[in-house]
Amino acid sequence: MNAFHIEYRNTQGTLMRILTAVSRRGIEVPYMHAAAANHGHRADLLLNVNAKQIGQLCRDWYAIVDVTDVRVGTPTPEMMEAAAGFAGPHPPASASAGGRSANAAMA
Amino acid sequence: MLRGAEIFLQCLRAEGVELVFGYPGGAIMPLYDALEGSGIRHVLTRHEQGAVFAAEGHARATGQVGVAIATSGPGATNLVTGIADAKMDSVPLVCITGQVRSALIGTDAFQETDVFGLTLSLTKWSRLVRSIEEIPAVIAEGFYWARESRPGPVVIDIPTDFLKAKMEFSGPAKFTPKPRPSDAVAEAKFADDVIGLLQKAQRPVALIGAGAKLSGAIPELRQLLDSLNIPAFATVHGLGAVIPSAPYYLGMVGMHGTRAANMALHENDLLLIFGARLDDRVTGDPTRFAPNSKIVHFEIDPAQLDRVRQCELSVLGDLAQTIPAFHKKIKSAKLPDWSDWRAVACGEDRAELDPRGLAQPTIRFLDELFSRLPENSVVLADVGQHQMWAAQRYRSASPRGFITSGGLGAMGFALPAAVGVQLSKPDTTVVCVSGDGGFQMNIQELATVRRLNLPIKMVIVDNKYLGMVRQWQQLFYQRNYAETDLSDNPDFVEIAKAYRINAERLSEDAMEEFPVGQETADALEQFLKSPDPELLVFDCAPEANVYPMVPAGAALSEMLFEED
Repeated sequence: MNAFHIEYRNTQGTLMRILTAVSRRGIEVPYMHAAAANHGHRADLLLNVNAKQIGQLCRDWYAIVDVTDVRVGTPTPEMMEAAAGFAGPHPPASASAGGRSANAAMA
Repeated sequence: MLRGAEIFLQCLRAEGVELVFGYPGGAIMPLYDALEGSGIRHVLTRHEQGAVFAAEGHARATGQVGVAIATSGPGATNLVTGIADAKMDSVPLVCITGQVRSALIGTDAFQETDVFGLTLSLTKWSRLVRSIEEIPAVIAEGFYWARESRPGPVVIDIPTDFLKAKMEFSGPAKFTPKPRPSDAVAEAKFADDVIGLLQKAQRPVALIGAGAKLSGAIPELRQLLDSLNIPAFATVHGLGAVIPSAPYYLGMVGMHGTRAANMALHENDLLLIFGARLDDRVTGDPTRFAPNSKIVHFEIDPAQLDRVRQCELSVLGDLAQTIPAFHKKIKSAKLPDWSDWRAVACGEDRAELDPRGLAQPTIRFLDELFSRLPENSVVLADVGQHQMWAAQRYRSASPRGFITSGGLGAMGFALPAAVGVQLSKPDTTVVCVSGDGGFQMNIQELATVRRLNLPIKMVIVDNKYLGMVRQWQQLFYQRNYAETDLSDNPDFVEIAKAYRINAERLSEDAMEEFPVGQETADALEQFLKSPDPELLVFDCAPEANVYPMVPAGAALSEMLFEED
């Protein structure tokens, strides 16, 4: 697992561009957190990627016009704890309370 | 007080826009209502995809930003293929889409789509305009990013109520980007490092891509190549960058590249790349690409570096600066004598095409056609076999003279793109080569050609198949020609005549004589010299194939020259 820290200006769609660089490669995201940081915003991602994908992702992110910095680091305990509960992709589970959420969505 | 639509158009004018392509509809109507007197010429195509490809044609031929306009919903979704095409081929493009009223966004209103969301991964930059006040700043920033560094597509989505609203307008905005602390540029000492690698190299080569042309550094590149005097070849988008008669030039490289170029790319020990992104059609099997090479990559887009192979040296920056800096150092450098390597790489036994390929009637036809073109003509090729034949036979030193959808491979590109090229270069001979499949994908643009009386010389290489797919079916799917038979094609000559466009048919039998007989020669001359739009349908053998061919997954040295 590798941790990625991407600093960006929080303009329309920039966070989505950061995430589509991951999703277009079919890579799961066990942990992701984005918030205001320093003078802009920062997204922290935990990804299970190989060395080639690390290079590709970093360059793709850096090519986004409102990304200001990209760093690769060691996962924090908080990231690893969150990722431990991630069992891979799964469909949304039905709500136990009589499927109210699902019914609301269908309405 | 000005309406948002008037402000929008004034801002476009401030960006130098004089020509736009589009198709009106509900949400974008206020912009169309303000067009008259704006100083901007609008060209109505017959489909939004025609508009975006025409805008691309304008941009590719001139280097200016192409502009396409569409309405919300289906109008916007019809632009998507062109936006993807511009992303792949680094074309400066601004697409303007009308959106439903701001109060209705997110309600699944009539003709509402999330064009911002659906184009996020295809655009370099995009904005949904959130107020009339934002219009000047959004346009300034959008055009900046479309042009800047590696050019690309931009989408500006504007709700219809902001086009109708009014405000005081103090003038167009200017955009100044905030510098990024870690923006990298080539260090001054890179030239010494490259020279050091050259001094140790025994078999150096140069690969030229689109980036060399986009940088505008073609004269400097040619001087550099003359000084280096090493075997050089080009990607399909690099065609025209090198003077074809240069003794070290080996032609196009890649899946349908020349034998000499592919062999040199496979055998070299030092590969200098100038503005190419190493698409899989160029590398063949990436694990066996240039197996003994050290790579030096001159590139403006950091996302392209080390993508396929780790480089020995990455020279990140605008080629307009790095090439002259490198050449300055090369002039005083002592370099090895590579004449033995040059003799091997450029030798007679690696002739540009196999003789059996040269005997192909379509190759002969294209040779006859291209040899009659005035200097600085523009050739557009659609996508498929004819595209590769045209790329193989194109022999011009005009950097913007060969235009095709290379990265995305979008069939239907060439005809509307030719509209954009011809409007941008009214005195230039524009030849549009299509296949019978691709021509039918945007055949409606014959109406645009007719309305504007554009003297485009349209060629259909008609083999009554989706020829490239059929070729793959023949070679790799045991001749199972599943759904590629187009033998029930309409009569293209009659269709053109219905659009009041002159059209003729030429049989491949006319190519039996080489050079062609007087009658065929006269017909070709007349075709090219006509002041009107003309269509020529060339009947091609149904099972003609493009060779050489590097099968998918093979190394560049494993070219096919015939069916096994």
